[in-house]
Amino acid sequence: MTMKYLHSRNRAILREMVRTDFKIRYQNSVLGYVWSLLKPLCLFAIMYVVFTYIIPLGKGIPHYSVYLLLGIVMWNFFVESTMIGSTSIVARGDLIRKIRIPRYLVVISSSMSALINLGLSLIVVFIFALFNGVMPSLSWFLVIPLIIELFIFAQGLSFLLSALYVKFRDITYIWEIVLQGGFYATPIIYSLKSLPTQYTKFFFINPMTQIIQDARYAVVTNTSTTIWSTVHSIWVIAPFVVILAIAITGGYYFKSRSKYFAEDI
Amino acid sequence: MAVKKEVAISVQNLHKEFILPQHKNTTFKQTVVNIVKKNRKVTQKVLDGISFDINKGDFFGIVGRNGSGKSTLLKLIAGVYTPTAGQIIINGELTPFIELGVGFNPELSGRDNVFLNGALLGFNRKQMNAMYDEIVAFAELEPFMDQKLKNYSSGMQVRLAFSIAIKAENDILMFDEVLAVGDANFQEKCLKQFEKYKAEGKTIVLVTHAMGTVERFCNRVALLEYGKLDFIGDPSKAIRRYNEINQVAENNGLTKK
Repeated sequence: MTMKYLHSRNRAILREMVRTDFKIRYQNSVLGYVWSLLKPLCLFAIMYVVFTYIIPLGKGIPHYSVYLLLGIVMWNFFVESTMIGSTSIVARGDLIRKIRIPRYLVVISSSMSALINLGLSLIVVFIFALFNGVMPSLSWFLVIPLIIELFIFAQGLSFLLSALYVKFRDITYIWEIVLQGGFYATPIIYSLKSLPTQYTKFFFINPMTQIIQDARYAVVTNTSTTIWSTVHSIWVIAPFVVILAIAITGGYYFKSRSKYFAEDI
Repeated sequence: MAVKKEVAISVQNLHKEFILPQHKNTTFKQTVVNIVKKNRKVTQKVLDGISFDINKGDFFGIVGRNGSGKSTLLKLIAGVYTPTAGQIIINGELTPFIELGVGFNPELSGRDNVFLNGALLGFNRKQMNAMYDEIVAFAELEPFMDQKLKNYSSGMQVRLAFSIAIKAENDILMFDEVLAVGDANFQEKCLKQFEKYKAEGKTIVLVTHAMGTVERFCNRVALLEYGKLDFIGDPSKAIRRYNEINQVAENNGLTKK
């Protein structure tokens, strides 16, 4: 009974916080929610022009535009949710200092609007894929477990970073640089095939590489290089171990620090 | 002998220390510097071994001068802070009001703010839907609910916050200086609500500087001074002691000048 009560109470808090985030974000902008789709699409348009006509990295990849768009959309979610997540505890200091809501709700709610954006963006990707002549198939549903994996990865990092950010405000600067590096360390604009094959396997230590390549395999083209076709040993679990390690470390550190958030902010 | 009263809140040997902000490591550089220099942490004792019980049905006042540790004690009981040592046992469901209208967002409509604040106070969607109309009616703000909160006067905001707050049905309620924020009319409303709580036999903890309110409502009072329990018990004695302490502080201030 108490559990059920707590559950509905936390759900209510989460819902209201996400609603607030969404309403506030596009305040006073004419296009409102449309921006959450327009932004990745414009970014995509620029990259498409650059990497198709100026520096043709996508040569030989079937449906390169869909391939590129899917990568951008997933990477954008990762950037958005970890950036907003890392500052979430400090940003909601007003609540943390005055009421005893479960602290983790603040972090989770901050990433929810990024998750909604991802959902909307993926719909655009699928429509775009159909127009581009990609045959729809049941394998498209494999995106769902991949999104869950991506969400867990981003949440784990958000818990770690948001708790660190309370004490060290340098975290956001560092994380921005890591993300900038990560963008190029992940095959988003280029193909893994353009690299010497002996190095390919090392790219899959990065969970984002595994997730994006798997998503491309499931949605766009089965020529996408995946971890499953590259690594044939126990090392195939490497990206999952990385995610698990980050999620456990993040969760544990967050839990141990959360008692002191109210006084440290 | 009288039946042993049931305890609502038991505070046991409570200590709270804060690390002083100027020595807080907010950047990696400072952390490194502090490790190298072996800086000892400078801490401030805010609460230094406080113990007392609040019984069920008490209207319990916590008074003391600024900086005596009242608000820290309240935040510890509310579960916002974690004690350095000692413990607090709460027997029942507690709703703390460290501030009215927690989470109020000026960019949201009055209506959205009611639902947001209600959720943060522990109401689920169904409960909020059921009592929304009553809240708005009590606040006398029906025509303004679709307006953004930033267009409300501060009086209107307080009225709205208060109307949600009084819906809290838990058996232990705790207020920090709520009377300080409103005008005479609002204060009267608050006092009436306190009377109602008292009649219902709820346990109320009130932190305040208003000795008139203490005298009118409280049956027990704790007086804090320098993080220690200076006095606990009869309200009129507590008020006398509080005035004494203030007088001494004032005289000290005068002689220093």
